[in-house]
Amino acid sequence: MTADESALDELRSAVRNFLEAKSPEEAVRKLMESEPRYDPAVWAQLAEQLRLPGLAIPEEYGGDGFGPVELGVVLEEMGRALLCAPYFATVVLAAQALLASGDTDACARHLPGIAAGATTATLAVAENSGSWDPALISARAVRDGEGAWKVTGRKSFVIDGTTADLVLVVARTVAGPTLFAVDGTAPGLTAESMETLDATRAMARLTLDAVPATLIGSDGAGGRIMAKVLDFASVALAAEQSGGARRCLETAAEYARTRHQFGRPIGSFQAVKHKCADMLVQVELAEAASREAARLAAEGSPDYPVAAGVAHVACSRAYMFTAMENIQVHGGIGFTWEHPAHLYFRRAKSSQLLFGGPAVYHERLLDRLGI
Amino acid sequence: MEHDMQAFAAEVRRFLDAHVAKAPDRTAVTWGEGDDSMAYFSSLAPEEEREQVQRAREWQRIRYENGFGWITGPPEYGGRGLTPVHELLYDAIESEYDVADTGTLSVIGLGMIGPTILAHAPQPLKDHWLPAMYRGDAIACQLFSEPGAGSDLASVTTRAVRDGEDWVLNGQKVWTSVAQHSQIGLALTRTNPDAPKHRGITAFLVPMDTPGVEVRPLRQMTGGADFNEVFLTDVRIPDDHRLGEVDGGWTVALTTLMNERATVGSQGAGPVAGALSADRLSALMRATWTWDDRALRGRLAELLVDVLATEHLNARALRKLQAGVAPGPEMSVSKLLYGQNLTKAAHFVSDVLGPRAIADTGQWGTYAWNELLLATPALRILGGTEEIMKNILAERVLGLPKEPVTTAAKEGRQ
Repeated sequence: MTADESALDELRSAVRNFLEAKSPEEAVRKLMESEPRYDPAVWAQLAEQLRLPGLAIPEEYGGDGFGPVELGVVLEEMGRALLCAPYFATVVLAAQALLASGDTDACARHLPGIAAGATTATLAVAENSGSWDPALISARAVRDGEGAWKVTGRKSFVIDGTTADLVLVVARTVAGPTLFAVDGTAPGLTAESMETLDATRAMARLTLDAVPATLIGSDGAGGRIMAKVLDFASVALAAEQSGGARRCLETAAEYARTRHQFGRPIGSFQAVKHKCADMLVQVELAEAASREAARLAAEGSPDYPVAAGVAHVACSRAYMFTAMENIQVHGGIGFTWEHPAHLYFRRAKSSQLLFGGPAVYHERLLDRLGI
Repeated sequence: MEHDMQAFAAEVRRFLDAHVAKAPDRTAVTWGEGDDSMAYFSSLAPEEEREQVQRAREWQRIRYENGFGWITGPPEYGGRGLTPVHELLYDAIESEYDVADTGTLSVIGLGMIGPTILAHAPQPLKDHWLPAMYRGDAIACQLFSEPGAGSDLASVTTRAVRDGEDWVLNGQKVWTSVAQHSQIGLALTRTNPDAPKHRGITAFLVPMDTPGVEVRPLRQMTGGADFNEVFLTDVRIPDDHRLGEVDGGWTVALTTLMNERATVGSQGAGPVAGALSADRLSALMRATWTWDDRALRGRLAELLVDVLATEHLNARALRKLQAGVAPGPEMSVSKLLYGQNLTKAAHFVSDVLGPRAIADTGQWGTYAWNELLLATPALRILGGTEEIMKNILAERVLGLPKEPVTTAAKEGRQ
């Protein structure tokens, strides 16, 4: 199901209004220094009032059955507002991994709770290298005498990993990388917060010591599931990034219109004007790339995997560029702790590197293009 | 509105299907086969160029006779009376077909000068020239730029002096596209050197066969001559060829500049389409044994992202048009990016080629890229420099203030 333009505009303004009320800068600053790094009351409202966790979950699993286009609108707004919440980990990474696995039992078990906002979840793939390539992981899963799976190993960069009720873990079996579900409170699982460049996105290091686990999908299918999840997550992240980039552009342009130096608004100086125009070009390109990728995903187009790669590169670049130039346009005030510009800078850099960074996503795009 | 646009789109497709074939895919390549030209500017011999102009005129006549010659024009001059959105939609659909390149007639003449004549010319000029232009019989050029007035058009110095019922024009114009094929030119002249510079300009329609008009080809750094210099020496123009008020020519010029057409979907055209093709670029890397070079692969990915994301931008603009919504800044952005993407592609390929770009080894598909490389500096300047384009984006889209007029500039007007 895909909403038409006016329904998308309505969704956008509902989410924006909600976030302006619930995730203003003071709230973001307070949460990024707290544990947990989100407000459970806001999370509950987001589920009850706006039904956002279930937006892109099929109706048969208790969701509203919309797709990547609608999810993109929500993520653009969350990226703009730097919302501190386990939305990306739960709704994008974990729910999509469940759906990509094709395991209908697992979907029926976990997705209704996620859709209702009752369950938070995450996906643990990367280890200390930070790579999301399932071929490069060393966590292992073995069966015990009764045939039950136990996972052992370490995972890092696990988004919202200290608070997730459900942890999906990619671990190696004799058949290859495989997806497992682990209860957040399972014996043998310890989660500790990692210090993060971007404090608005919580990350954890997980230690798993023979943790009881449930196989998701088939044994050895982890690589195939992860390829799907990464394309989807790249597009979702791209939406978040383009929302953040648009915000940086708006902030910079607003400042350039109103800040006077040498007796005139700084935006009348061509050097500043051109910086803002360059930001606009990057933002327009990023928005087109991320929205088009979401549209192609919703249509199940064969062009979608390439478009996902394009969106990831274009939006990573646009966000980093606009976050840097926003600080430059602001001058000295722009690099103070009190000014929000650095929060966007941190989010931009962290997002750019989240799934491996430029060298990795360049190769992923070329791979999708068959080059 | 959306329904109307879909009906219009279907009508356009019926017309095109009845007259022309679909365009071939110019991005696919079999390495070593076919033409390896990467020319952005035409490098045709004069007789070939005349033939091309003739084909363009014929296609324009067919358009006109079928109601697509002047989609936004008033019916009394052979127009269709539809909106600019219809016209953009037509252009976007037509770009999927293998039609004659009508740029010679349409970019400047039909796109910019026609609407200016309509808005400002005396009735007899309209009655005569508008149907002639849109039927493909008359080609028009823009006698605006001068050696001393590039992007700052208000500082033109070509003089027009009144002599009875006539005006006498003297001066030099430059960067005049298609002047060698044109029957008329729209000239900006200075009629009052004492007035502030925007207020002392008058516009005239100059028949190009008037004695004293001399067109000389201007050779560019590519070696080709796509532009002209036009010398005006004691050119007598009757007052009834004046557009707008005496000293009121700036308003006329603005009409022309506002009609500078945006280009949606035009990126697939011409030999340079291959310059932005993943197939072509990756085949080149194979042929030059640079396939595994990590740094070059990274740059290839970045380049293709720019190219593909620009296509997404165009696709979204086209979908807005089909829904009857005027596009926002994406069309100006796309225009700016087109030149930038070709520039990046040319320099990327030079780095892939290395020394093979310095001298021609005879290997197919290598040295030929220099045709594009040498055109790229012009791409940042034509139709308004990159700097002017960025000012427009910043001021019109982001609402940034204009550069204040300095004391020095005020004094310059005195």
